[in-house]
Amino acid sequence: MRRAFLGEFEELILLIVAACTEDAYGVTIWEQVQEQTGRSITISAVHATLYRLEEKGFLSSQMGGATAERGGRRKRFFSLTVAGSRALIELEQMRQKLWKAIPEGKLQILGQ
Amino acid sequence: MEPIPNPPRWADRLLEYFVSDHLLEDVQGDLYEIYQRRAKMVGIAKARREYGWNAVRYINPFFRSYKSNHDTQPLFSTSMIQNYIKIALRSLWKSKGYATINILGLSVAFCICTFLFLTAYNQLTFDSFHADKDRIYQAYLFFNNPDKPERRGQLPLPFVPAIKAEYPEVEAATRFVNERSLIEYKDKSLDKVIRLVDADFLKIFSFPLIKGNRQTAFQELGNIVLNETTANALFGTEDPIGKQIQLKDNGETKSYIVTGVLADAPTNSTVRYDVLVRIENIPGYHSRQNQWDDFSHTVYVKLAENTDPEVLQKKLKSFSQKYFAPTVETLKKKGARPDQRGDIAAVRFQNLSKLHFDSELSGGPPVTVVYVLLGIALFILLIACFNFINLSIARSFTRAREVGVRKYLGALKSQLFMQIWGETTVVCFLGLMAGVVLVVLLVPEFNAAFDGKISLKYVLQPGVIVGIMVMFLFVTLLAGGYPAWQMSLFNAIEVLKGKITLKRPGFLRNSLIVTQFAMSCLLTCCTILAVQQTDYLRSVPLGFEKEQIISIPVGNKYEGRQVLQRMRNKFANDPSVIAISGSNVNLGRGKDNSTSRAMVGFDYKGKNITTDWLLVDYDYLKTLNIKLLNGREFERGYAADSADKVVITESMAQALGEKQAVNSYFQVDSGGTKYQVIGLIADYHLYSLAQKKSPITMHISSTEGISYIFVRVAPQSVKTAMDKMRDTWKEVAPGAEFIGSFVDENVDSWYKSEEKMSQLFSIASLVAILLSCLGLFAVALLVVEQRTKEIGIRKVLGASIANLILILSKDFLKLILIALAIATPLAWFGMQQWLNSYPYKIQINAWVFVGVGVAAVSITLLTVSFQAIKAALMNPVKSLRSE
Repeated sequence: MRRAFLGEFEELILLIVAACTEDAYGVTIWEQVQEQTGRSITISAVHATLYRLEEKGFLSSQMGGATAERGGRRKRFFSLTVAGSRALIELEQMRQKLWKAIPEGKLQILGQ
Repeated sequence: MEPIPNPPRWADRLLEYFVSDHLLEDVQGDLYEIYQRRAKMVGIAKARREYGWNAVRYINPFFRSYKSNHDTQPLFSTSMIQNYIKIALRSLWKSKGYATINILGLSVAFCICTFLFLTAYNQLTFDSFHADKDRIYQAYLFFNNPDKPERRGQLPLPFVPAIKAEYPEVEAATRFVNERSLIEYKDKSLDKVIRLVDADFLKIFSFPLIKGNRQTAFQELGNIVLNETTANALFGTEDPIGKQIQLKDNGETKSYIVTGVLADAPTNSTVRYDVLVRIENIPGYHSRQNQWDDFSHTVYVKLAENTDPEVLQKKLKSFSQKYFAPTVETLKKKGARPDQRGDIAAVRFQNLSKLHFDSELSGGPPVTVVYVLLGIALFILLIACFNFINLSIARSFTRAREVGVRKYLGALKSQLFMQIWGETTVVCFLGLMAGVVLVVLLVPEFNAAFDGKISLKYVLQPGVIVGIMVMFLFVTLLAGGYPAWQMSLFNAIEVLKGKITLKRPGFLRNSLIVTQFAMSCLLTCCTILAVQQTDYLRSVPLGFEKEQIISIPVGNKYEGRQVLQRMRNKFANDPSVIAISGSNVNLGRGKDNSTSRAMVGFDYKGKNITTDWLLVDYDYLKTLNIKLLNGREFERGYAADSADKVVITESMAQALGEKQAVNSYFQVDSGGTKYQVIGLIADYHLYSLAQKKSPITMHISSTEGISYIFVRVAPQSVKTAMDKMRDTWKEVAPGAEFIGSFVDENVDSWYKSEEKMSQLFSIASLVAILLSCLGLFAVALLVVEQRTKEIGIRKVLGASIANLILILSKDFLKLILIALAIATPLAWFGMQQWLNSYPYKIQINAWVFVGVGVAAVSITLLTVSFQAIKAALMNPVKSLRSE
């Protein structure tokens, strides 16, 4: 499989989709991102990232759940694909490895 | 709580435009949701602003060009293609009639287009195969005659040696002379045209030399080069190089050694040859090689690289002054003035690429003929395309439901377009294939009918293949693209409700019909006028009786006078032969396919007179049945007749300005023979009516050879006469080929090119009319189908059948009348131009156009009323009951 590169924001969105307990779609993900990071983020950036992740095969989507609130339009629910979860796990493992590789005491010097 | 209004419309529009169809729903939904929440939180006004601001953020190519590969079908999947093929075959099968009409029409159009295209290609690529074609020119003389500037391709023999010696810019030059001669090798003999050339011939032209050495092939005077066909005919499988062959001309025999075999000249070559020998072998070379006023042959030159012919022409001014001084003097006496370039007589060059269409120099067709051919080809192709469009649109309504269902199930416009266009392409392809088969089958017929030189070899050339591919693509795009586009625009809901009908009779459809019929009418008018002109040329009295005369070309094996004498002896007491005579100019175009013309110009009492100088023999007038107006004919009893006596035509007498022409004297060159006029005859046409009749002077000088024998046979023995002549020929000229023919047939073949033109036009117009009618028929069918209900209601309300037919045909008649109004002036103008090139021509008669108009209207009525009557006779209950 082609190993797609994951950007920082992409990783964040992917994690949020993974962390969502209910069905994740544009608005919920957008809210979560702002909540979790405290950053102000435009909805178009979230959409662009979601679609790009889907293109890369880390997310899949299906349509459903139209509400009057949305003018009768359906939502696009995103869910993590196998490739997506593998990518997250690999990233996490690499981080763990790197964390373990940091010499003892170094972080304290740097961090404080 | 007050209801929340919709977000700004402009923002939605923006989204609809900038966000791809796959994403629009959920993007817009999400934005909407956010808008609703924000409206409750921060107020409607702010929420609206935010909504707009958010929407603007989607102006980004990423959203616009996003193509999902997950949740919709790809543009083409295998199962869809299978489905398309299945449906295509089914719908083709269901509408066999339409498909056949389409394929038939297209194949005929393709076939005709290919022929015309190939002919045009052959013409347009004339002489383009020489390696140094940019540097090859034909030299010609320009004379600024006071009445009309003249360009003469015939040059004198000393020209080439002089120009080569004096101007280094001339890299190579060759003279090019034709002589008929008999070639003999062992027991085989062939009557061929011998070309006499300079050794430079092979340096100028790049005809491939199959055998022999290019450098030395013309080294010796006794060398001879044959073309492949001649070499094969003479030697078969033997190697011709080094063999000795004989050339027999006017009783003289010369031996030559074969030093080369040259490939046959391609059909698109101006320079043609069978047998080539050095120019020095021309009879009387030594006496003629210094005569600057003996204009006798063509000259081709190759200029050195980077030589501007214009500059060289300027440099050649002194050359013309030096060598053509006497001619300049004569011209000056006649009142000639220098032209813009300051020349009265000049040597000029015409590039090889322009030579073929320079009719004055090469006798080729004017370039307009080629454009007319291409125009006709395009006409026919367009008509076929228009048919296809109309038929496809007509048919598309029967498939509207399929399109509707496909649309409902999510087919994209582009998919529908590709599907329908693909089907069209398949039909077009079948048409092309059928057309190719037709071409292959008809090539010999075409070549025979139009004296064409098309071989299938041409089809395989890259230029032609590209041309055909372009033609094919053009047809599929035009004929398939438009209907496909129309169908993909159908509104799915309306189609499924069964509401789809044509909104209005389309402007496009009407203009297509008008164009088709305008083209057909144009071609028909041209055909009728061309046929009329040809008939007219044939029917103009020639001034002699062309029936019951057999003309026999003598050939080169025997001397004409001897054969003529033997014939006379043979038939002296035969009542079936009325008179026998001879001449050096054939009447009409015989089977030897050659023409010759001898003219002299001289000054007589201050007037410049030009006349045909015709060699005849005793009984010429009797044989041709030409009336003697005054004086006497040549008679055997007067020994001096062959020395200085002439018989002239009336127009010659007029030119001389003598009231009493008989017994007057004139001199052709100062100090030369004084000719005495002994007889006056009525004018007659010695040459085709495409040329103006000129004065004729007849003489019977025995120094010139007779090349044609004319035999007038008794009317009752015409049928057996030809066989009799053939038998006699074996006795009087043993071993020589007999190619006699009747003079009236010969005269007919003068008008071959006119004949060909009218044939071409008639085939083209026939095809055009048939194709147009086919199209009209289909459109009529469609219109009638659409108006079934209307017709039913009209019938119920009491309309008569005639009334209904009128209503249905009216629209079409209007179109045809418009077409006529367009075609008539065009045809009139175009044919007037063509007719102006003839000195003897018909007056264009308005009745031709009226006739074509009536015919067009009646054909339309016939085509349309077939459908109209069917519709009018239908039981209105049936048509009104459905629904």
